[in-house]
Amino acid sequence: MARRYALDDSSVIVVIGSGAGGGTLSNELAQKGIDVVCLEAGPRLQLSDLVNDPSAMHMKLSWLDKRLGAPTWLCKTVGGTTVRWSGMTPRFQAHEFKPRSTYGKLDDTTAIDWPITLEELAPYYDKAEYKMGVSGTHGMPPSAETNEYKVLKAAAKKVGYREYTSSRAAINSIARDGRPACRQIGFCWSGCAIGAKWSTLYTEIPKAESTDHFELRSECMALKVEHDRSGKVTGVVYVDKNGDMHEQKARAVCVAGNVIETTRLLHNSASNSFPDGLANSSGHLGRNYMRHATATTMAIMPGEVNFHRGPRQSGLIFDEQYHQPERDFAGGYLIESAASDPLTVALTVGGWGERTVDYLENYTRLAATWVTGEDPPQASNRITFHETERDQYGLPVPVLHYEFHANSNAMLEHAAMTSRKLLESVGGRNVYSQKGGGGGCHNMGVARMSADPEDGVTNRWGQAHDVSNLFVSDGSVFASSAAANPTLTIVALAIRQAGHIAERLGRKEL
Amino acid sequence: MTREDLSRRRFLVAAMTATGLASAGIGGTMLATPFSWVRAAEGDAEQLARIARLLFPHDKLTDAVYVEVIDSVITSAAGDASLASMLDQATTALNSFVQGNWLDAGELRQIAAMQSIQDETFFAAILDNVRFRFYNHAKVWQHIGYPGSSVEFGGYIDRGFDDIDWLPEES
Repeated sequence: MARRYALDDSSVIVVIGSGAGGGTLSNELAQKGIDVVCLEAGPRLQLSDLVNDPSAMHMKLSWLDKRLGAPTWLCKTVGGTTVRWSGMTPRFQAHEFKPRSTYGKLDDTTAIDWPITLEELAPYYDKAEYKMGVSGTHGMPPSAETNEYKVLKAAAKKVGYREYTSSRAAINSIARDGRPACRQIGFCWSGCAIGAKWSTLYTEIPKAESTDHFELRSECMALKVEHDRSGKVTGVVYVDKNGDMHEQKARAVCVAGNVIETTRLLHNSASNSFPDGLANSSGHLGRNYMRHATATTMAIMPGEVNFHRGPRQSGLIFDEQYHQPERDFAGGYLIESAASDPLTVALTVGGWGERTVDYLENYTRLAATWVTGEDPPQASNRITFHETERDQYGLPVPVLHYEFHANSNAMLEHAAMTSRKLLESVGGRNVYSQKGGGGGCHNMGVARMSADPEDGVTNRWGQAHDVSNLFVSDGSVFASSAAANPTLTIVALAIRQAGHIAERLGRKEL
Repeated sequence: MTREDLSRRRFLVAAMTATGLASAGIGGTMLATPFSWVRAAEGDAEQLARIARLLFPHDKLTDAVYVEVIDSVITSAAGDASLASMLDQATTALNSFVQGNWLDAGELRQIAAMQSIQDETFFAAILDNVRFRFYNHAKVWQHIGYPGSSVEFGGYIDRGFDDIDWLPEES
């Protein structure tokens, strides 16, 4: 079974984080016979630890260490946020890799085109979808149509939309890959108790362990990446669950801590050679922090929906995702169904008194949509660190600065209108839109890929422009947010990066 | 904290007892609330339970649920001096609005008093604390038709995940 590597074994690649990026990259490398040590800050849960209790699981899964500013919904656990995610896996569109060329210069944005195209990523999207068992792709049957999806579909037909599906979910529509088919349990956000939803916790991580080229060290928090005089990274300093510090030597280091921790680790690794943070000669580290333009819209329907019977999200509409310059905003958005537990409903509709209670009294009749739209990068949306406050590791507390861009505000007005129209078309009343609802689930940017080293932190492979054996392997490398939920693209990029690292090892370049 | 709050007898008692009673909470900086406050708050439990009902007025739910939720909030406040102080501020402000005992006022007047403080930080804290406990309460779930955990029943694959019957016929 799993290998154990010595701390002074400098032949290993250290991957930091075990979620969509780090978990996938670790397994892809291990499958190629490359030795990997994966450091994960959170504990390792078993399927039996995943119970149908959103509040209890929030405490077990979430990254609860102190952070200031806009809240996020990220996880500190083996598998990272793939334990909590909804499983929606749309691809980016071709133009979303070229936002600067397609949309022109938007005021107060720092948009650039990606250094890669959809055409280049497409084969890796195929591999990612196949790996994850995405419904409706590569022979996986479509997902079953839930009550919630049937409302979305009927509404889409009523208003004249043409492209909608219950599929595109990394939730098994049939038993596959040693995991069962979805049983419509609900509670995707609590972690899938039967493992039908793809999560690195019970796919990539155990597969990597079965190769004899992989060691997972859970409850090990990376503190600093060390480098030598030539500017190459040499190892990672971390603290284990007993509070003991270690340094794992490494041939290369791949950082996949999700954007906040990725920024913090590189920031903490500043040295005389890299005074503004490791790999930050461009000054872009921590900047161009993107989320998505999001809103939840909820309504009381004429009959029972019981949207708790089935996945958190069970379908989506593509019609609004295109760039249509005749609208008064650039880019587009996806409309997805969105089931919620009672507490989440109360938080979504907000407030108190009879108005709020009307939604909860009609809990079994609720239907909802959630939109996720492209959010342009801005220099002022960034992650910084508190000057004096320290967390339990002695690390500076992250401060998240995030405001919607005017383009996102215009898009969300449009989305609120179309969502209202949708829900009303099938009899919805008391339609309420919560702008920004569910924001903070998707975190992107901060170490973006760029053709020009002055424009970003990493190159087309996610390799740091400044450091040849340092890679970023999570959504931090996104040069634009696109409209799509980010996980599929993170997984596709990780598969592609693993191939690149293997090639460079073969050429003895690492 | 305002001068008015500090002038209140029970909070003075609390402050005196609190001297030196620091304890590490989740954030590492929480102050323990003295026992004397907890006894005082129990006296306010009726008022707090009424606040809880007006926050989330489900007519067919009995008072017992609201009382249970408030008991739990008071228990939390016993370990969290900041929350304890905010509960104090709320009850004081409501009584002050009606210039007497808020509990004796009519329902519309009680709601008006709550609306007058709804932008205050202490009101938001109480709303958060009540909402979290109330909409996670099994009796509330049962009342609104939310069954909670489903994995032990095999999910909904054989129990109506696709049984919707009122949508317009497919064209």
